Amino acid sequence: MRTLVGGLGYRNLRDHSLGVAVTDRLAEREWPDGVLVEDVSYNPIAVVQRLQDQPVDRALVVAAIQRPGRAPGTIEAYRWDGALPDAERIQTAVAEAVTGVILLDNTLLVGRHFGGLPEEVLVVEVEPAVEEFGDEFSPVVAAAFDRVCELVSLLATDIEAARRLPEASLGGGRGVSRKVL
Amino acid sequence: MCFKNLPVEFDAKGKPFLKGGIPNPYEPRAVAGLPKQLSESQIEELLRRNGHIRPIDFDPVTRVAGALAFHSVVDTQARKVVEARSMATLFRGYEVIMVGRDPRDAIFITSRACGVCGGVHSATSAMATEMAIGCCPPPLGILVRNLALALEFLYDHPLHLHLLAGPDYSALVVGATNPSLLARAKKTATAYGGVHGYATVGELMEDMNPLTGKLYLEALNMTRVAREAYVLICGKYPHPQTMVPGGMSTTMNLSVMTEMATRIVQFFDYSKKICRIWDELTEFFYDANPEYKKVGRRRANMIDTGIFDHPEAYDATYEHAAAWGDKRWATPGAVVEGELVTTDLHTLNIGLEEFVEHSYYEDWAGQGQKQRYATDPVGKPLSPYHPWNKITKPRPSGQNWKEKYTWDTAPRWDRNSMEAGAYARLWSTAVARKLPDNPFIEATGHSLNLRLPKGALPEMELTWRVPKDNWNAFERNRARAYCLAFTTLVTFANWLQAMERLKIGDTKTSTPFEIPKRGEQRGVGFWGAGRGYLTHHIVLDRGAVANYQILTPSTWNASPTDRFGQPGPYEEAVLGTPLLEETEDPKAFKGIDILRTIRSFDPCMPCTTHIHTGEGVISREINTCACGVEEEATAPA
Repeated sequence: MRTLVGGLGYRNLRDHSLGVAVTDRLAEREWPDGVLVEDVSYNPIAVVQRLQDQPVDRALVVAAIQRPGRAPGTIEAYRWDGALPDAERIQTAVAEAVTGVILLDNTLLVGRHFGGLPEEVLVVEVEPAVEEFGDEFSPVVAAAFDRVCELVSLLATDIEAARRLPEASLGGGRGVSRKVL
Repeated sequence: MCFKNLPVEFDAKGKPFLKGGIPNPYEPRAVAGLPKQLSESQIEELLRRNGHIRPIDFDPVTRVAGALAFHSVVDTQARKVVEARSMATLFRGYEVIMVGRDPRDAIFITSRACGVCGGVHSATSAMATEMAIGCCPPPLGILVRNLALALEFLYDHPLHLHLLAGPDYSALVVGATNPSLLARAKKTATAYGGVHGYATVGELMEDMNPLTGKLYLEALNMTRVAREAYVLICGKYPHPQTMVPGGMSTTMNLSVMTEMATRIVQFFDYSKKICRIWDELTEFFYDANPEYKKVGRRRANMIDTGIFDHPEAYDATYEHAAAWGDKRWATPGAVVEGELVTTDLHTLNIGLEEFVEHSYYEDWAGQGQKQRYATDPVGKPLSPYHPWNKITKPRPSGQNWKEKYTWDTAPRWDRNSMEAGAYARLWSTAVARKLPDNPFIEATGHSLNLRLPKGALPEMELTWRVPKDNWNAFERNRARAYCLAFTTLVTFANWLQAMERLKIGDTKTSTPFEIPKRGEQRGVGFWGAGRGYLTHHIVLDRGAVANYQILTPSTWNASPTDRFGQPGPYEEAVLGTPLLEETEDPKAFKGIDILRTIRSFDPCMPCTTHIHTGEGVISREINTCACGVEEEATAPA
């Protein structure tokens, strides 16, 4: 079974760099055969094309993303139900994808629409506290970082643990993010 | 003699000089004969007296790169636009970030201005630096740089034509805004079915549908093909790893060339098809309703610095820029009222000014301050508003059409509002007749003949004719389609030349350089993005950047109204646009003709708003290409 662990985020954007910071750390570890740790912070259309070339059986994506009503530093993990919004939102995601926007929701929507993503997609989200240029996390996200890394490691290798996650729509049921970085 | 508004004359040898006897010669005085916006009071009066006149705002304008908002006031009875304001709604930081840095950083930092066209900024900054420090790439380095950027445009043009602008001409959108037009399309036989494969225009429009249409999906695939070739020499897309002042740090060998070729040749047939598709759509709309010729219409004023250097002509000096500029595959040019007035890069450069009356900046030259440079490096007069003299002074404030309403500045050439685009490249090249001898592209003075080699389709000659008397949204898109073909041929021709260099054992792609640690130097990168004109003006002081100014295509196109009351290109084009949507209900109005107009310019807002404030309220601070707005106001088409 092939599992892709994908970190997603902009570098040097403090808390919004969490996703790539996680995969940077996890890439240094030894993984069982079939577990791939990659930075997927690039054009979602290109991510789709990469997955079409080398399919995986499950995907785990980790990113910092703002959701309404969620406290900074909150870690939320769920099995994405794969539900897609209307065509207009998907087209917006595609237009943003090809013009260089990197956003968790867009990667998932575009990936699902064009068939690149596998059936099983796990999402680990962290609520950022700050949105600024820099290479340090805010205190609250820094405090959560190690736990996020361990959670991702667990979910990447323990199928049963992953199956116990709640199933939810994007945002853990909070809705698709409208905020584009 | 080509300046009508600037205080510059030319002597018998063609050398420009500042007109004498004029106090404050560059003081912006009223310019006669320019189109003007209605005043705010006139608009308010119309809105007050006429219930059928109403504001229509697009915030954001979707299917453009980055953050663009557009305010308009439309007369729903007369079906015309009476006010149009273009607003770049986010600011970035590149020009200020660059100050104090090593110029080599510019290649990587400015690239992050854009996620579509990052590589063009890398190339332009490399060229600005190599001019400043006196470092010329070897011939193969010039060819590889040409290849890299040509491949970038092969990514960019299909993306725009079928993912961004294309849906506006799809069955889905046309059926929603003009049902009778779609009905007509379904019954209209195509003229070029032998090339693109569609029997009716209606079928073609179905395949333009976003997300599901075959043309849409094919464009996505072709962007991949171009990107794969690009990364062979640049490492990754859109931010290349291999651009340096003095060339490219790429290893060129037969394997790389072969892998590139297998991808380049796929564009031969694709170009034929795309050109004919956009011919088909344009002619259909014109035939269905001649009023479509007025959609997006404005004066044919456009500017381009040319691109794709001759490997033996380019020497990276400002002194010889006019000479090597003339040898480019795409000829530099300023077109005013449909006439090509110059191809001289010096003249193009000294005609530049940027104004900020309606932008969130302070004027840096209005109180008689001493300008840094009175002339360019060869003694030709410069305006205090020229990029080399510009001082960036951000001043965020509230939105006010009389005062300030955008983060974009108002660049002008000879005080004309000029547009930039891939089409400007074709126009200058076609009319100037200066491109290198080659078997593929012929400039006739009024057209370009493009001979595309055989693929699965036979060898084909396509002709793009300069639309001198009818410059509008449809012609912009059509020209972009033909620019895909033009760029494909330029790519192939440069690939052939690169192969010849490899055959003689030349593999050198870069020239060693040092950044001087003393003195002051300046340079300018004259280059282009997929969507047109691009310059980076740099000043170095003791090895560090003292000033860095970027002018992108969308800086020109999205510019606000200037101090003379002259609207920017988007604004002017929208003001001239009739509203042809089939709706009598103002509340159901989608503004498709306005949106088609704006999208025909291929807006790229991340590149446009590259100014940062060190004080004042910062609502967002970002370091790479990603622009958006918090809320959607009007539902876009």
